[in-house]
Amino acid sequence: MTARVGIVLVSHSASLAEGTAELAGQVGGGAVTIATAGGTDDGRLGTSIDKVLLAIRQADAGAGVLILPDLGSSVLTVRTLLADEPDDLPGPLEVADAPFVEGAVAAAVTAAAGGDLKAVLDAAQEARHARKL
Amino acid sequence: MPENCEATITLTGDLHARPAGALSVAAAKFSSTVQLTVGAAADAAGGGGGGGGGGQADAKSVLAVMQLGASSGQQVTVRAIGPDARDAVETLIGILSNATKVGD
Repeated sequence: MTARVGIVLVSHSASLAEGTAELAGQVGGGAVTIATAGGTDDGRLGTSIDKVLLAIRQADAGAGVLILPDLGSSVLTVRTLLADEPDDLPGPLEVADAPFVEGAVAAAVTAAAGGDLKAVLDAAQEARHARKL
Repeated sequence: MPENCEATITLTGDLHARPAGALSVAAAKFSSTVQLTVGAAADAAGGGGGGGGGGQADAKSVLAVMQLGASSGQQVTVRAIGPDARDAVETLIGILSNATKVGD
């Protein structure tokens, strides 16, 4: 079986990231690695570059990693990390501009089906247009 | 040679998040386009509907499938067009008949 795209959920809240990962993982049938980077290094609300870097490494299986930030400074943290271009950063990487829960679920399903990084990114970003009602 | 294939099933449980996910993961593995139609919606409007009143969704889009809100007792038609249409319909009907039994 070929490697699947990994997913990193970046949230201000560790429990929000973990809960979203749990939901998206179950809807995707458990076939995808979803790593989380939630909260600061000392467990408060906020974001951590080190946690994002670790999560990217955990999620990488050789087919690329989709990073999904929740709000505001999550995006900034991810951008700062990518701009630094650490030597040991796995790739390719994409950052999704998408709603957190819907984007994570759509990305997990597409990754589980064996979609490539572009397809997983598109699935997450199409979630912006999904209606609930 | 593209085929056009369809089949209809009556749900024995609600199409919740997990069965919707299983359905979309399976659908995405086929090269055929796969549409789900719920209830009596026979026009090709797509998108709208849901809420138990019928509607159409691309089976490969899990959010669209969830938005259908298909529930126990409703009819779901799976229609596929493409080279593997027959396999796609057979597989998805199988998932709809099994996955909606467990509920949740």
